[in-house]
Amino acid sequence: MRLRWDKVSTIVRKEMAEYRKNRYILLTLILMPLVMCTVLPLVYVIPITLLSPPPTDQPLDLSIRVEGLLEDQQLVNVSINNYRIENVELVNCAVGSCEIVNCTIYSCVVSYSNISDSQASSSIISHCNIWSSTTINTINPGSVFLGVESELEQNLKLIVNALLLFILLIPSVLPTVIASYSFVGEKLSRSLEPLLATPTTDLELLMGKTMAILLPTVLITWLSAIPMIIIVDVVTQPLLGYFLLPDEIWLLAVILIAPLFAVLSVLLNVVISSKVTDVRSSQQIGGIIVLPAIAFFIITLVGLVILSLTNMLLFAAIILALDALAFYLAVKAFKREEILVRWR
Amino acid sequence: MIETVGLGRRFEGTVAVEDLNLSIKDGEAFAFLGPNGAGKTTTVRMLCCLIAPTTGTAYINKLDLRDAESQLKIRQSIGLLPENPGLYESLGAYRNLDFFARLYGVSAKDREKRITELLKTLNLWDRREEAVGKFSKGMKQKVAIARALVHEPEYIFLDEPTAALDPEAAKTVRDFLLELKKEGRTIFLNTHNLDEAQRVCDRIGVLRTRLLAVGTPDELASRFFGRATLFQLREVRPEHLQALRSMPNVLDVRQEDSSLIVQVSDPKHDNPAIVSRLVAMGAEVSYVEEVKRSLEDIYLKLVGGG
Ligand SMILES: Nc1ncnc2c1ncn2[C@@H]1O[C@H](COP(=O)(O)OP(=O)(O)O)[C@@H](O)[C@H]1O
Ligand SMILES: [Mg+2]
Repeated sequence: MRLRWDKVSTIVRKEMAEYRKNRYILLTLILMPLVMCTVLPLVYVIPITLLSPPPTDQPLDLSIRVEGLLEDQQLVNVSINNYRIENVELVNCAVGSCEIVNCTIYSCVVSYSNISDSQASSSIISHCNIWSSTTINTINPGSVFLGVESELEQNLKLIVNALLLFILLIPSVLPTVIASYSFVGEKLSRSLEPLLATPTTDLELLMGKTMAILLPTVLITWLSAIPMIIIVDVVTQPLLGYFLLPDEIWLLAVILIAPLFAVLSVLLNVVISSKVTDVRSSQQIGGIIVLPAIAFFIITLVGLVILSLTNMLLFAAIILALDALAFYLAVKAFKREEILVRWR
Repeated sequence: MIETVGLGRRFEGTVAVEDLNLSIKDGEAFAFLGPNGAGKTTTVRMLCCLIAPTTGTAYINKLDLRDAESQLKIRQSIGLLPENPGLYESLGAYRNLDFFARLYGVSAKDREKRITELLKTLNLWDRREEAVGKFSKGMKQKVAIARALVHEPEYIFLDEPTAALDPEAAKTVRDFLLELKKEGRTIFLNTHNLDEAQRVCDRIGVLRTRLLAVGTPDELASRFFGRATLFQLREVRPEHLQALRSMPNVLDVRQEDSSLIVQVSDPKHDNPAIVSRLVAMGAEVSYVEEVKRSLEDIYLKLVGGG
């Protein structure tokens, strides 16, 4: 079937003009993301940071304290026991075959260094960062200097992943609201018949409607990720010593998965809207659309699936496949004949 | 030219239109007359390629409306005023028209010229930016009519354009239709208003699921009632009736007060003989006149209302 983008863009612009005049659509577009991206991160992240105790010294024997900047040093075969290592910065150092046992390592940074054949054990490591460095054959380097993540860090990462759910709820919910008003409104005002009488193809009409909902949804999702990232970082950076967000999983979720979600939601709403006649039932059925997003995150939160890059890509692929299915259904549902005969 | 060939449409069980054979010339104003549920809207929707026929087909400008590519061309050449104005109520009149003009592919320059012209003609220019939701029914209908005309269509389909309007607004719309007719556009008017059909259109088709009759109002009158002539006498006596009934060319004679209503197949040829006969019998003929049948009589006879 023919698809002319000038017709599609004409429809998109008309729809946008209508949204601007619709109080309900405007309010939803502004308020929902605003709540999701400001109130929720504060509510979730602040208690965690308050509840988690600052890294303390016990139960270690802290006979020796190490502090200061080590630059251009070679540390080989060094074994450190029962130290509190605080505010140490390693710059351009070579660390080899070193061992840290029973230490508290707090607020340390390693940069431009090479670390090999080393390990940290039985130590509490927090508020540390390592960057622009290589680690070879070293146990638990992670993003943290030579060690495992602190409890606070683990909790924060969990919360941040939960926040991702809210970011993905935006592209699931917004289309339901917009679609219910725009489609059902069109039915009630009977404005579809003259539109269907124009020399546009069914596909052009479908694409126009779809894009008109998709564009603001994706734009708003992206925009609301920014304050969320800033709030999380502002609250957690002083504790962690580094910026938690955006990490690659977040970027992937916001940039790729959110739009895929939006597409799914819009298309399913098109299908639903073509079957119902009032705003409320359209919204109620449309609510089902958020279920996949919620289900996925319950699975990840419970720990059945780890939010790794691979899993996220796999998730994206699944949604993409669902998008294709939804598109097929929408094309089938969005036929002039069907719309006129059904929507009486 | 619009030509329907055995056109019909069924909806799960109900037959909305059946075996419609019609031919409408370019520049003709055609009225489709029928009671509610007669299938007028269904026919117009089929002709505008909004719903598919279940039997038969139609050709618009020789294009078969079953063909997908033709459908785009047919829609391009058609302006439709649906039963409900169906405007975008939150947008202004100008914006409403501009949107449709763009979809019909009217160039930017023509768009502005055409919309300005239409809004000025319809006395809406000063309120072009106001949301049309606040307009009266009559004003909305005018915007909807303008919408059907922005792309200068050859064919204009109007589905009961005055049904929901007060008499004054209805008159404005009717006058505008007459203007369109003067411009030489082909008009297809759905209506159940007999007077409107007669005033605006050249030819009338009476529909009740099937096409019951089609022709000019005069043709319909003579077809369904023959040609009747009224002979007003000073006094009608039974032998007058008898005498006329015995005449070979007389089809029917009725008495109404002091008049005789006589139907013959060819009044020009037969009426003089009737007058001579009456005069010969001593009747005093006051005057003789042709009986005009109103469209209403024909309509009621056809759709069986009275
Ligand atoms: N979408 C539809 N579904 C089922 N029946 C319909 C539909 N549209 C019209 N009909 C039926 O077809 C018949 C003709 O309707 P319509 O064309 O609207 O008549 P009119 O416009 O002359 O009033 C009616 O009996 C109506 O109930
Ligand atoms: Mg109708």
